[in-house]
Amino acid sequence: MSSELQTRPWQRYEPSARCPWNLTRAAHLWRRAGFAATWEQLQTSLKAGPQKTIDTLLHPKGDVAAFNRTCDNYTRTVGSSEALRAWWLRRMIQTPHPLLEKMTLFWHDFFSVSAARGAGASQMREHVALLRAGAMGRFGSLMTAVSGDIATLLSLETKAIRKAKPDEALARHLLARYTLGAGAYTDKDVRETARAMTGWFVLRNQRRYFEREHDAGVKTVLGKTGKFNYADVVKIASEHPATARNIVRKLYRWFISEADEPTDALLAPLTESFARDFDVARLVETILRSNLFFSTGAIGRRIKRPVEFAVGIIRSLEASAGTTRLAADLASLGENLYYPPTGNGWAGGRYWINHATVIGRNNLAASLLSASGPYGGRCDPAAIALRHGQADAKAAGRFLASLLGGHDDEAFKRLWKDQPRGGSLSDRLRKFAYTLVTQPEFQLA
Amino acid sequence: MGQSRREFLKSTVGAPVLLSLGGAVPTFLARAAGAAKTENRTDRVLVVVQLSGGNDGLNTVAPYADDVYARKRSTLRLRSNDVLKIDDYVGFHPRMKGLSRLLKDGQLAIVQGIGCPGSDRSHPGAMRNWHTAQPNDPRCPTGWIGRTIDYASCKAQANTPGVFVGPIARPFALTAQNAIVPSIRSARQLTLRGKGAPSKRRTSDNPLENHVRNAIRGAHATSRRIRGLLADASRSGSYPSQGLGPHLKTVAELIAADVGIRIFFTELGGGGIGGFDNHAIQRDNHAALLGHLSASLAAFAADLSARKCLDRVALMTFSEFGRTLTENGRKGTGHGNAAPCFLMGSKVRAGLIGKHPPLTDLDNDAPRFHTDFRRLYATVLTGWLGLDSKPVLGADFKPLDLFVT
Repeated sequence: MSSELQTRPWQRYEPSARCPWNLTRAAHLWRRAGFAATWEQLQTSLKAGPQKTIDTLLHPKGDVAAFNRTCDNYTRTVGSSEALRAWWLRRMIQTPHPLLEKMTLFWHDFFSVSAARGAGASQMREHVALLRAGAMGRFGSLMTAVSGDIATLLSLETKAIRKAKPDEALARHLLARYTLGAGAYTDKDVRETARAMTGWFVLRNQRRYFEREHDAGVKTVLGKTGKFNYADVVKIASEHPATARNIVRKLYRWFISEADEPTDALLAPLTESFARDFDVARLVETILRSNLFFSTGAIGRRIKRPVEFAVGIIRSLEASAGTTRLAADLASLGENLYYPPTGNGWAGGRYWINHATVIGRNNLAASLLSASGPYGGRCDPAAIALRHGQADAKAAGRFLASLLGGHDDEAFKRLWKDQPRGGSLSDRLRKFAYTLVTQPEFQLA
Repeated sequence: MGQSRREFLKSTVGAPVLLSLGGAVPTFLARAAGAAKTENRTDRVLVVVQLSGGNDGLNTVAPYADDVYARKRSTLRLRSNDVLKIDDYVGFHPRMKGLSRLLKDGQLAIVQGIGCPGSDRSHPGAMRNWHTAQPNDPRCPTGWIGRTIDYASCKAQANTPGVFVGPIARPFALTAQNAIVPSIRSARQLTLRGKGAPSKRRTSDNPLENHVRNAIRGAHATSRRIRGLLADASRSGSYPSQGLGPHLKTVAELIAADVGIRIFFTELGGGGIGGFDNHAIQRDNHAALLGHLSASLAAFAADLSARKCLDRVALMTFSEFGRTLTENGRKGTGHGNAAPCFLMGSKVRAGLIGKHPPLTDLDNDAPRFHTDFRRLYATVLTGWLGLDSKPVLGADFKPLDLFVT
């Protein structure tokens, strides 16, 4: 690690001879802040430099509101969470604001609300809409919205929180998962929080409050004392310094590295700053613009989620795909959108990759890149190469190696020489793209 | 072949389960390590077969000689000349010739009187209890097989210790916190379709890249083994062509391919009509299901034996509940609790295990269980797979003596 990195990990990254702005770093930025870049986006970014590219990622030029309105309209009548999955994937593939979808996915993993325990399609749609609306806002507002959201309560199997029977499991989940993080509170905090949350019922999929079932007494929660209610304890927990630390830690894992556990000292500048206003957009911006983000300690130090793997291939190749089928295929790779495995989200990292999921990823790539079959051949590497002026087989191969793997010429030649000769150009490049996306490096985000 | 078995030993020893064992670690390590040398315990495979809908234990292993049974089941009763006699009190349903044969061959244990405390006798509630193995915690987020797989997954090896085989949604028993547990319908799904070899062995300073490289090599090895095995069409076995038959055939193929999968979960009767939930006109449907179950298990045992894998395998059946004793007005039965479970394999202590619950002491018209289902789980986890069952089951459940040593 350079001394720059040790002393100023969160300072703005300025390209240097040691840490140049190049294709590798531009592709890294687009993978982390979105779902991989097209060739044109990479070239524009190389010219614009890192900070201007981040400006664009944070505030894209396209009409994001109009795009999301259109998608919202399409999903208004969707009748199942399976269909919603397909729509979300389509949004990820087409959105002019990939960072927003990436952060919406982050919060989906964070809150881990599942359709498996009673929430219907309309409730799940509203839930993810809340996540999207609050994805880059103040954490407190998002937390308030999510904690009163019916899909959340159904997912947590909350039914009747009676005065005589406070729901300690719910209180613990609020503190351990949604706000402070494990170990940052006492059992007494859990009990008092549970008392404050009494009076709320879920009846016929509606959230209802019954005054007589609320424990109106004085509670002491996380060092504060008062006649707290549900909203009060959500607010107290949301604004706690440990909550800032918990979220910063999770965003470090999301944007920087799954390969190491950062020290509190490393995160302290972010945590202190985030604890002042809980502004998620500012925190994300600081992380993306930092020296650490562009360091070798971050590049390739995450494993692509199945969604990142597939949407990345499709976006890079400027293609589209039938997302109903894709959603089911991604579910079998372990990422079933709207159905996180447990209330603790996806374990992620190394767990995405085992013998069976590697076989699954390879077979999905083979389907996506095949000229026929379930995905109908819409990912066409030769067409993209031609669009960017590469008509000759070897030149097109070199282009794809650059686009899909950031491979240098030497790595390209090594991979290219093992490719079968003969067949049509289109076919050869489909096979070569398969080789590229099944390389170990491609599984890294 | 030996490679994956060694990987398994590593995976068992390296599993996070050890962290929660405290003082018990050295004993466990010693036993696992010793077992690998002597009897290759780390090769062992568990197959769980779920009978969805609530199987009528009383007509599976029927107390034909019991007057109460005869009186309460006016049309459904099996008589002494119907059953395949096990002893002078109980006998198999006449369609279960395969299992009767396995019993005579010393490869089947009939574990009687198994049930779940506090069962609400609803399909979702009872099944959830059997799946989570935490009947006191309706919010338990993971299944017992899922937890076992989490413990048996080795981060470094990227192995796949457990799979679900079948066409229905993956049962909750396989829900894990960390591990990704595949659902497959055929062994071919675990083979690579595209061409290509794994890249050359190389070590990076990035631990995640090394992990991916290992997994890719393992995936290619898995695919190669399964392909090799499937190419040998001479072994097809005599499985029923539908339902459980092909699932167990897939299981047998994956066991023979020796790709490191230690736990298989499959299912009969779920995903639509025709299951074990026979509230009306039970007789023919139930007979067909039992015949199918029996033929499938017998074919499985024969196939494993021909593949010389039988010694490594134990198979257990379960259902979310048994049924009520009294036949209803529609020639069917209601939701009960206790029922027998089968345990099949060449190393099981064959025969009737435990007493048949007395029909004179019923719990709301159903036989009472005398053995908590979690003791059966503890038996297969500890006695067969050599894992500590406490981290999976959350408490100590005394294993039953169901395996010969």
